[in-house]
Amino acid sequence: MLEKLIEQTNQHTILDMEASIEHLTRGTIRHVDQLLVVTEPYYRSLETAGRTVPLAYELGIKQVHVVANKVRSPQDEEAIRRYCAERNFEIIGVLPYDNEVLEADQAGLPLLDRKPDSNYVKEVSKLMDRILGVHQNENENQKQTA
Amino acid sequence: MKIAISGKGGSGKTTLSATLARLLSRQGSSVLAIDGDPNPNLGVALGISALGLSGLQPLPRSIIEQRPDADGVNQTFLTQPMKTISSQYGVAAPDDITLLLTTRVDHAGKG
Repeated sequence: MLEKLIEQTNQHTILDMEASIEHLTRGTIRHVDQLLVVTEPYYRSLETAGRTVPLAYELGIKQVHVVANKVRSPQDEEAIRRYCAERNFEIIGVLPYDNEVLEADQAGLPLLDRKPDSNYVKEVSKLMDRILGVHQNENENQKQTA
Repeated sequence: MKIAISGKGGSGKTTLSATLARLLSRQGSSVLAIDGDPNPNLGVALGISALGLSGLQPLPRSIIEQRPDADGVNQTFLTQPMKTISSQYGVAAPDDITLLLTTRVDHAGKG
């Protein structure tokens, strides 16, 4: 079902997936342009990302990127960067640990409405610009090879 | 542009999905958000009201069917156009987003 929905829509699509992609088939995911793998700077979260990224490439997703989330310190960022560098994973964004995220969650309101100028929202905005850049490049490459 | 977001439970993938969907929609083209998590929270994260969320139903199996294509190979097809599916089962979220829910909540506690 998911495969057909993603194939048939002509809208920009954001798909919030299950934690694990291990049950996915090439078919389900073949119309997805990009997978973002969100990871926190601790071992088990990184290990999940470590399994997900190669699997995503095996499934045929062309753009697979890691997003570092809940980063509290330069050491946190370094831990994620080192883990990814050892495996040639590309990091597309580093999002800070932001108390505002938790507070908005507890209030049941989007952070974007509660604190639009929070660090988290600012960094997601930068992340979006980079994502748009990736897709622009991808489209240009396709035109050139066509 | 079709982006999937994965990550361990609690990694913040739903908050990221929602924030990204709304910022992307503000760029000028409406966004389709699909909640494929068995523990669906994307609606709240997008800012849909409790009333709006009460109308959110998982997509029924009847929107797809298996039948042979022109070459006689069995394929999956949507039984209705995407527009109809969006307007019938989708719930509107802020910034001109439509949310669809693909998974059922009847496995509560699982995962």
